[in-house]
Amino acid sequence: MGVPLPPKEANLFKLIVKSYETKQYKKGIKAADSILKKFPNHGETLSMKGLTLNCMDRKAEAYELVRLGLKNDLKSHVCWHVYGLLYRSDRDYREAIKCYRNALRIDPENIEILRDLSLLQAQTRDLAGFVETRQQLLTLKANHRLNWIGFAVSHHLNSNGAKAIDILEAYEGTLEDDYPPDNERIEHGEMLLYKISLMEECGLLERAVEELHRKESKIVDKLAYKEQQVSLLVKLGRFEEGEKLYKVLLSMNPDNYRYYEGLQRCLELYKENGQYSPDESDQLEAVYKSLARQYNRSSAVKRIPLDFLHGDKFRVAAENYIRPLLTKGVPSLFSDLSSLYEFPAKADILEQLIIELENSIKTSGRFPESSEKELPSTLMWTLFYLAQHYDRRGQYDTALKKIDEAIEHTPTVIDLYSVKSRILKHAGDLSASAALADEARCLDLADRYVNSDCVKRMLQADQVSLAEKTALLFTKDGDQQNTLYDMQCMWYELASGESYFRQGDLGRALKKFLAVEKHYSDITEDQFDFHSYCLRKMTLRTYVQMLKFQDRLHSNSYFRKAATGAIRCYLKLYDAPLKSTAEEEDEISKLPPSQKKKLRQKQRKADLRAKKEAEEKNEEPTTSGVSKSGKRQVKPVDPDPHGEKLLQVEDPLVEATKFLKLLQKHSPDVLETHLLSFEVNMRKNKILLALQAVKHLVRLDTDNPDTHRCLIQFFYKVGSMPAPVTDSEKLIWNVLDAEREIFSQLHDKSLIDANKVFFEKHKDSLMHRAAAAEMLHVLEPSKKAEATKLIEDSTKDSCTIGAPGTVRKLKLKECIIVHKLLADVLYDNDAASRWKVRCAEYFPYSTYFEGHLSSVAPSSAYQQTKKLLENGTANGNVEKLEALKI
Amino acid sequence: MVCIRKATVDDLLAMQACNLFCLPENYQMKYYFYHILSWPQLLYVAEDYNGKIVGYVLAKMEEESSESHGHITSLAVLRTHRKLGLATKLMTAAQNAMEQIYGAEYVALHVRKSNKAAFNLYTGTLGYKIHDVEAKYYADGEDAYDMKKQLKGKKTQHQHHHHHHGGGCCSGDHKAEERTAGEDKKGE
Repeated sequence: MGVPLPPKEANLFKLIVKSYETKQYKKGIKAADSILKKFPNHGETLSMKGLTLNCMDRKAEAYELVRLGLKNDLKSHVCWHVYGLLYRSDRDYREAIKCYRNALRIDPENIEILRDLSLLQAQTRDLAGFVETRQQLLTLKANHRLNWIGFAVSHHLNSNGAKAIDILEAYEGTLEDDYPPDNERIEHGEMLLYKISLMEECGLLERAVEELHRKESKIVDKLAYKEQQVSLLVKLGRFEEGEKLYKVLLSMNPDNYRYYEGLQRCLELYKENGQYSPDESDQLEAVYKSLARQYNRSSAVKRIPLDFLHGDKFRVAAENYIRPLLTKGVPSLFSDLSSLYEFPAKADILEQLIIELENSIKTSGRFPESSEKELPSTLMWTLFYLAQHYDRRGQYDTALKKIDEAIEHTPTVIDLYSVKSRILKHAGDLSASAALADEARCLDLADRYVNSDCVKRMLQADQVSLAEKTALLFTKDGDQQNTLYDMQCMWYELASGESYFRQGDLGRALKKFLAVEKHYSDITEDQFDFHSYCLRKMTLRTYVQMLKFQDRLHSNSYFRKAATGAIRCYLKLYDAPLKSTAEEEDEISKLPPSQKKKLRQKQRKADLRAKKEAEEKNEEPTTSGVSKSGKRQVKPVDPDPHGEKLLQVEDPLVEATKFLKLLQKHSPDVLETHLLSFEVNMRKNKILLALQAVKHLVRLDTDNPDTHRCLIQFFYKVGSMPAPVTDSEKLIWNVLDAEREIFSQLHDKSLIDANKVFFEKHKDSLMHRAAAAEMLHVLEPSKKAEATKLIEDSTKDSCTIGAPGTVRKLKLKECIIVHKLLADVLYDNDAASRWKVRCAEYFPYSTYFEGHLSSVAPSSAYQQTKKLLENGTANGNVEKLEALKI
Repeated sequence: MVCIRKATVDDLLAMQACNLFCLPENYQMKYYFYHILSWPQLLYVAEDYNGKIVGYVLAKMEEESSESHGHITSLAVLRTHRKLGLATKLMTAAQNAMEQIYGAEYVALHVRKSNKAAFNLYTGTLGYKIHDVEAKYYADGEDAYDMKKQLKGKKTQHQHHHHHHGGGCCSGDHKAEERTAGEDKKGE
């Protein structure tokens, strides 16, 4: 340590520390400056001043001062600690840990630094280190509850639950008999529940049950007590007791689906796959009949049997379930039953059933064999259901008829427009879908749900700027999109990014995808404060859950979509790189001098304007951006609003690889991960990594068309490589030779034959045929005609539409993919237009195929709605326009 | 049917998504973490038959005040899932936990003056009463009703004072951002 400060300055130094802790930064700086006036080289003061500046967004100065401070006083643990804190604030955990370690070398028993170190170890999951530090802390201060708990948790996280239990019991041993006092009852109860859950985790089930029983009076959370108890009983096979307890839980909350599942387990009538023998179904039926008498207000007891009943019994149960919900007008009825549509027999029964109900109400105003007259709304909700039913079965025409009938019946119900919008989306008319959703939105401008739904549809229809304006109606500072970003509105960012991507605006697309990625890294960072907080609060079970959640955070679907989107952008960017500035300069230099000058002036003006705008925005008074607490600063203006700078990466494939690694780590069982890996590594000429990807694809889904594509393309590329020269190339060849034999598809077969076999095996599937055709074209470019024929023949037997009870065989999405394949990969324009004509007939609402009912055609639903609007039947347009002006 | 159950950490992302889709008052993920890591018993979700989160209640205890009481931070039910009484069920579950575990004597919440559906739910089915009006409570300048509901409460028995915990993470910043969603008044 440097020379000690005289008393006055020493006190000032304390003031700096205190000001830092209480966030009175200006005061801290003042104190620091008055020390530095006398002792300009005082290391610790320089460091603290730096740390304080860091909190005032003066990062560069902060680093400079902290480093200078350290240089002046290398033996000071304060300087090292501060340096660590600085790195910590920038999320550079590795460097921060190094600094803390240096500080501890000077002052090994400094509790504050040990505590900060332990937090970082928890954050970075350096679990062995975490255990060690928590042990030191406990040794130094054994009279602190927090240190016992921290030590126990560290062992638990380090996979030593048994040790954690021992520590907690030792801690309990230090407590008085009458512990806890009233004000610590909840925390103590939580600690006990944590300990018992540890016992369960370690398989000490008997001991856990006993402990639970013994400590019953000390556990405040009675619901958690019961849930813990029943979980143990089931694991111990004590089903009778379990059954009783589940019934108690159900009487407390008959809407908890998991209790029913548990009850079935106790009755040994539970199967993961839901496939029950007739005998089991009968038993279950009896169980639920008796439950229904007990919990007659619970809809679960009526809904669950629809899963295991079949035939007539299913019909009766379904009818009993559905009728009152139609009478009541429950909008979610269809979505509630939608999982039943995976079983065609049940879907058929439902169709007959609802049609019967519809006919009965239309003719008599009652349900069949009922004396009660139904309200008019029952018919509307029945039509509403039917529309969704036909939509699900791909009969968009009938679906639209039904929903139009419902709208005519009651034109004021918002849900009808939302469903019509969804049907139109499925039918392929995205602009009409967006228009309908906007109609729904205008019926209740204060309801964000219909606003969001509309934004979603607009984005699907690639109306991004309109979507943005509409979404901003619900953010507080209507002028800037930041609030959507600040609030981590990821569904919007993803949908918007995907739309930009479809439109080829890679910069803006990347911008959105990277925003989502940033949210995820912020969420990871969020856990930091809780490492110490939860030890105090004793919410240990939830804390450990949270850490596990964090460990698999990046496997979440939003992240996956963002990473996938970003990788696809980088791949496109690699395939069609931007012009470099040099190239642009080059082009400009070829222009005649007068034009050159004009262009340059124009550019300069634009630059100036942008700069001025940016400055103005930055200097705006803090009225709009400040929250009530006054803390939030006005955001600096985004220097790259269109993501142009994001496109200027040196090597797109390097960027793509960063995301790819996260996907490989967190989503190894998702097919797309390995498709992307294949695409990236083939471009990078990383043959063995591409092979790795192909092997994963085969492992996950051998028969998948994309797996087939990658497999064939891979070995085709390998076959066309020049003979190996260097030793490493020879090595790779040997590996490839050996590996090729492992793929059963290729065993003893040429690639051409393997492709034929694949085609024969999957003749009935359009996507498989398309993959085989595409590969045929790759392997034998001369056989293009044959390849297109493979695709075109697919429609021979699947063009019968509209017969009742039928489900469409062709999917719109797939047909669009095939059209793009014909036009952009096989370059067969004739085949592509033939395909388009056929699909237009098959999907008359599709705007892509320009179907005669789509909004591009004059007789379409979209155009008709427009007419309706113009005639004033609905008042949406005006309000819509007004709303957008806000 | 819709399942009503206690929320877990794994539900938080879906709760945030649900909130962003249907309510104007939104919070960053950290605020959800703060709730569940402080009062894990006070968060409930409504999960539909396909496993989608269609509603939630986010609640907390006001620990600094003298009378122990609960506060509903946010309640939402997707528009598509109205008429099932979900809001009532979620609220009841959270209120019960406040009372049973934390010995709360009353529950408080804020609601926009213009949000009639929610107001009806609170005053009608759930038995809340207007306690005060907070002028310009919301960021867009709208007033809020400050509403309260007395719980049956076994008075002082579990009353509970927190010492040195001092708010911890991210408390306080979000006061002005609360809003509760509407449920139709017929919800049982």
